[in-house]
Amino acid sequence: MNIIVCMKQVIDLEQIRIKPKTREPVIEGLPFLFGDFEKCALEEAVRIKEKHGGKVTALAVGSPKLRDTIKEALAIGADEAIILIEPIFQDSDAMGSARVIAKAIEKVGEYDLILLGDSSADEYSGEIPPRIAELLDLPQVGFVREIEVMTDNDQMTDTKKVRVVRDMEDALEVVEMALPAVVGVTSELNTPRLAPLSAILKASRKPLNEWGPDDIGATADELGPKALVVEVLSNLAPIQDRKGINYQDVEEGVAEVVKALQQEGVLTQ
Amino acid sequence: MEKVEFVVVGAGLSGLATAMVLAEAGAEVLVVERGDYPGSKNVTGGRLYLGPIRSYLPDLWKDAPLERRVVKERLTMMAPESSITVELSSDRFRRPPYPSYTLLYAVFNRWFADQASERGALVIPGYKVDDLVVKDGRVVGIISSGDEIHANAVVAADGAHSFMAEKAGLRKPHAAKNFAVAIKEVIEFTPQVIEDRFALEDGEGTAQLFFGSLTKGIHGGGFLYTNLESLSLGLVLAIQDLMGKSGLEQNQGPPPVSPHDLFEAFKERSEIRPLIADGHTVEYSAHIIPKGGFRAISRLVTDGMLVVGDAAGFTLNMGVTVRGMDFALASGVLAARALLHAREQADFSSATLSYYKTLLKESFVWQDLKTFQYMPDFMANPRLYERYPSMACDLLEQMLWIGEQPKVKLSATILRTIRQNLLRVDVLRDLIRMRKI
Repeated sequence: MNIIVCMKQVIDLEQIRIKPKTREPVIEGLPFLFGDFEKCALEEAVRIKEKHGGKVTALAVGSPKLRDTIKEALAIGADEAIILIEPIFQDSDAMGSARVIAKAIEKVGEYDLILLGDSSADEYSGEIPPRIAELLDLPQVGFVREIEVMTDNDQMTDTKKVRVVRDMEDALEVVEMALPAVVGVTSELNTPRLAPLSAILKASRKPLNEWGPDDIGATADELGPKALVVEVLSNLAPIQDRKGINYQDVEEGVAEVVKALQQEGVLTQ
Repeated sequence: MEKVEFVVVGAGLSGLATAMVLAEAGAEVLVVERGDYPGSKNVTGGRLYLGPIRSYLPDLWKDAPLERRVVKERLTMMAPESSITVELSSDRFRRPPYPSYTLLYAVFNRWFADQASERGALVIPGYKVDDLVVKDGRVVGIISSGDEIHANAVVAADGAHSFMAEKAGLRKPHAAKNFAVAIKEVIEFTPQVIEDRFALEDGEGTAQLFFGSLTKGIHGGGFLYTNLESLSLGLVLAIQDLMGKSGLEQNQGPPPVSPHDLFEAFKERSEIRPLIADGHTVEYSAHIIPKGGFRAISRLVTDGMLVVGDAAGFTLNMGVTVRGMDFALASGVLAARALLHAREQADFSSATLSYYKTLLKESFVWQDLKTFQYMPDFMANPRLYERYPSMACDLLEQMLWIGEQPKVKLSATILRTIRQNLLRVDVLRDLIRMRKI
């Protein structure tokens, strides 16, 4: 079973500060890490490999910081990693990124399963899984919280299959699908392991490939600024209105707070 | 079990400087940092003296994320309700090469780690080193969560507490008298507000140190540094003094004086309040600082291990200047040179690694610490924080105050102050002691 795990490095969201005057997020210089969904997708891939054999390839598009970030994926158990860090890749929107990922997957060639986080921790648009499935003409399911590789393969056709459980909020849906396929996962899937230090050291000796636009046969018209279909108009934190009222006396204060909250419409009588 | 050439414990400035030089020479070096990212467990007041260290890491400083070059130095002596500030504004400080810069550690340390990574060092945050691997009395590796990594040599760059140096038997458990606690707030403004309030031009900065009644007799002081878009305001307090004069044992409840209360009172002082008005506090941090000086330096070398930076105790507080980062960087570079020297001979015994001590002794690190070895004792004098600042402020206030009553002669005022405050045995003793510093 050959699995490609698409991973996105995101800035450490806990460290984002909002400038109080302009409401702009301060993100320069913040450390990068993989989001929880990505780690779950990778963990699942490694578990499937441990059970059924095969190969796990981690694939990531992002800034040159990926050279460091990707080591975690290799330490956790990916056999090989491919990173796409040219500036033109980063200037893409979700459409452009999906094209880059799909082309890279095509270049990898041999795969049975493409696992990835259902959405990224930073932008959370959830576009990538269906977009790459469409580009690669593969079946796709999202919101997956359980994956089982079916061993009762049809001997006649040699078709590999997985059975997945989708989280539909008020219901669980069980889906069987033939591979190759794209599966978007949620963080309920598993608890990712923590790689020991020695595994990280080993990871730095595993193959790490850097691919540029030429390697995947992409042209400047297809990705980057020229291919944007989404225009970002604003990226500001919501307006916060802090009243800054202090009550000194606890007894009176409680009643006053309740009254103030009622006036604001936060509490109903 | 994995093996690398060198393991550095701690991704602060000293450890990263070591790793940077080692990696540049082609050595395989692993830097293990327990924080989530390099610098996440570190705090600095906020100023780096570049003068001494430019030549140690040339070509590095051009793109460094430094804040403002310091062109004004202020020293403020505080009495309970008054203060005297001495300001040095010098055009020499305004000409390149600039002697010192303010900086924000979180930004600077991360950048520094990137520089080390780019040169080939493997910097791994999020892993704590629990123990050393010692074989036949030699340090041969580290243990992290039961995982052993072996190395030709280990560098203890794990900061003021340095459990690594302690585990290797290079230092005794910590004596409270050799440490201070620092607390700091970073308060945000627009660059314009900072330049207006401190009368600075674009890119210029001020460094201001405070001593006297703000610490209520405790050995320590305050600091204020201007960054590009923020001020770093903080307080440093000797731990032993905080524990109380009676020599309170450790772990016996909170200290009689709360550092936080002293800090809040400091912020309310009329000298500080207008400088930080309408600011937005974006960071609050605290850290331990070694303050023992030359005579508190740990043993630096054993078989298979070197100690650098704060872990070795390389800091120097002279009241008018506070240094640590320049020592950390230089000691890191010198440790790397000693390790490369040992690598050439394929011998990492204490005898060969002692080349580190030779290099240190030739450097400003050792020489400055030695020259000012009596400074910590001198600075521990409570009269520096109570009687002398109050006396100076009162004297100046009497001279400058014009009230209803006719004034007495200046000479009479001065003589009375001297008679009341200075004709005493302890003052004579302090004067004699001053000769040593």
